[in-house]
Amino acid sequence: MQFIQILAFGLLLGGVYALLASGVTLIFGVLDVVNVAQGAFLVFSALFTWQIWDLFGFEPLLLIPLNGLLMGLLGWAIYRGMLVRVAPQGPGMTVLLMFGIALILEGILNLWFGNKFKSVTPSYYLSSFNFGDIVLPMPQLISGILAFITLGLIYAYLRFSWAGRALRASAQNKEGAALVGISQRSAASLAFAIGAATAGVGGVLLAIMYPIFPATQYDWISRLLGIVVLGGFGSIPGAITGAMILGVTEAFANTYLPQWSSLFFYGAILLILLFRPQGLMGTKTREDVVA
Amino acid sequence: MSDIVLTMTGVEAGYGGGLVLQGMDLALDRGTITCIVGPNGAGKSTVFRVISGLLKARSGSVKLGEREINGLDPAEILRAGIAQVPQNRALFPEMSIRDNLLLGGYAIRRDKALLKKRTAMVEEMIPLIKERASEHAGNLSGGQRRMVEIGRALMLDPSLVLMDEPSLGLDPKSVAKVAELIRGMAAEGRTVLLVEQNVRLGMHLATHGIVMEQGQVRLTGDAKDIADNPEVASMYLGKASGT
Repeated sequence: MQFIQILAFGLLLGGVYALLASGVTLIFGVLDVVNVAQGAFLVFSALFTWQIWDLFGFEPLLLIPLNGLLMGLLGWAIYRGMLVRVAPQGPGMTVLLMFGIALILEGILNLWFGNKFKSVTPSYYLSSFNFGDIVLPMPQLISGILAFITLGLIYAYLRFSWAGRALRASAQNKEGAALVGISQRSAASLAFAIGAATAGVGGVLLAIMYPIFPATQYDWISRLLGIVVLGGFGSIPGAITGAMILGVTEAFANTYLPQWSSLFFYGAILLILLFRPQGLMGTKTREDVVA
Repeated sequence: MSDIVLTMTGVEAGYGGGLVLQGMDLALDRGTITCIVGPNGAGKSTVFRVISGLLKARSGSVKLGEREINGLDPAEILRAGIAQVPQNRALFPEMSIRDNLLLGGYAIRRDKALLKKRTAMVEEMIPLIKERASEHAGNLSGGQRRMVEIGRALMLDPSLVLMDEPSLGLDPKSVAKVAELIRGMAAEGRTVLLVEQNVRLGMHLATHGIVMEQGQVRLTGDAKDIADNPEVASMYLGKASGT
């Protein structure tokens, strides 16, 4: 029974990771930009949640639409204002730009919140959900379910809307997309906005699960990049699979070998990349094959 | 009423400091198939880039009917009625054939009735698209991909279709199917401009031929006359001059 409980816990955790990583991989797929600021966006949203909750005391989950929208707008503005100018300089420069943005955001958060852990503790913070012998902490359960719902909405949007089709087309073949009249600039702005919005939503979910302080952005971005590398850069199914592997591995390792928890996931990445350098679901590019 | 669909007059265009097209003139009649041949670097692809708006002409004019299109962006030119089937793989491999086709109608996506009508028209013209609608485009053979690419280009009901090397990499059976489709488009009143390395095939398929050299039209006329021209025959068809 304990096995099923840990597995369920791991899958819920994996759902939250999947939402966060899907934003990174979507941005990479459409823009070829590794958004190393996603961790900072996430922490920014989480600390904003804490601030509003601390000031007004209302249900933090109600901030999900607002944070998603605000971070989406911030992402859109960053793309239109900065990234679009730097993108022609190549991936090295865009990584530097996004790293710079992450450092600036972290600095602002440090000034505002101080270098201290902040915890959002709503009424259900310490409660749990009992399903027979399986006991799941309420914040994890709620966050996991909301993450899956958000992922479902993103999937439906990408699959069935015209904007979603345009994004997928742009990610798969930029020249082909231009030929049918899809503007790369619009597709890229939308992809960056959606990617950042996932951090907005994810930030609220993290805020009710974990204590947060500005420098935790490094911990989060390394996990997210790990997931995306494992799944294959640019592949959303890959990011979901990678996230589930991380969630379940972490849940089991935390129970049985807590001090080795990180080693298992990064060890798995190392092993998988030895045999599949393009990640679990990534495709080899022409450059990979030539090299 | 003039039946000329596209006119290029004295077009100069190039990249960086150099000029590739050096006073290019061209006139395409409705319902004709024109094949451009010429050595590498003659400016064949640059003609396509200028017409489709990817490269702006530095001087001269490019008119679709009576409308000047030089300087419009590629999406506007697409909406004006010029579609392009490029040489490289232009489909979205991980999307269904149906989605690939629908994206050809991206510019008319808000007019659902028109989109439906065009989809039905293309599906009737190229049955493969309906038969394998839910399969990923990446699973198709080279010839089948080319058919879907052509179908996608037809979604906007273009008056002019630019085709870059339509026979490249295809087996003879697929080449015959693609050729039939191109002839069908012309019979419907569309104008086709193609660049083809396979000069024999290109001139056989086309009604008109153009030989380009150093960014200018060297020779123009009926495709048959061009193919029979001793100089062209010797340069591109492997026949000795005068035979």
